[in-house]
Amino acid sequence: MSSKQSDSGNRIKSLTVYSLLCAFCIVCGYIEFLIPTAAIAPGVKLGISNSVALVLLIKGDIKGAFAVNITRILLSALLFGSPFSLLFSFCAGVISTVVCAVLIKMPKLSPIGVSVAGAVCHNTVQIAIASFIFGKGVWFYLPVLILSGVICGTAIGLLGIVLTEKIKSDF
Amino acid sequence: MKKLKRFDIILIGFLLFASLVLFTVFGTIKRKGKRVVIKQNDTVVYSGELSKDGEVSLKHNTVKIENGEVFMKSADCKNQICVKTGKISKSGETIICLPNKVIVEIE
Repeated sequence: MSSKQSDSGNRIKSLTVYSLLCAFCIVCGYIEFLIPTAAIAPGVKLGISNSVALVLLIKGDIKGAFAVNITRILLSALLFGSPFSLLFSFCAGVISTVVCAVLIKMPKLSPIGVSVAGAVCHNTVQIAIASFIFGKGVWFYLPVLILSGVICGTAIGLLGIVLTEKIKSDF
Repeated sequence: MKKLKRFDIILIGFLLFASLVLFTVFGTIKRKGKRVVIKQNDTVVYSGELSKDGEVSLKHNTVKIENGEVFMKSADCKNQICVKTGKISKSGETIICLPNKVIVEIE
């Protein structure tokens, strides 16, 4: 009986933690949504919320990373986006999370590399979807997005490492 | 602070290189012009496809279109700057012959 109780206690705990992480992600996403980047490179975002999934991956919680990422993408689209933007962010989000989840297992790659790979994947998938909808012309934007993916990915990778060091407890 | 590993550097280096290559490649494709417009005294005297070879003879100048490039074949002006400009093929490029008020522009 007691083990059952602690089991349900754990479930409640992890549900709460994941919910909080989702909320954090959505707020981060909203703040980034408010920062205009159109002048420098339209559509480019830092993606601070990705650091949450990265920390979860570093801690070995792959399920949690998927849960948080997918939930936040769906909720963000519901709150600030459209079905159209959902298509973009959902496909890109899922694929880049899969890539990150695979790469995090590689001992020769640090979280920075994982994050960079994820960011570039995310951007490339979005361009690919955009090319289906708007035509091939959008591929011209790919180099900009690769470059921004490298920069943002490195930043998020560093953030993820620092956060993982600071957060000692497991979720 | 030994955070970056070798494969990180390889990955980042490769991606930076790839974006650089794509920048250059796309840059050249994108700016490839389509039409040649020749103006004399601010009026359009010729407008045609860049891909179609040909020669346009004006009063003082001869413009030649060849292999997707345009150049001033001859001009009777003194300075010959337009002839020395060489070949142009990218959108926005111009050859200007000031003495004869001829502008060759690629769109």
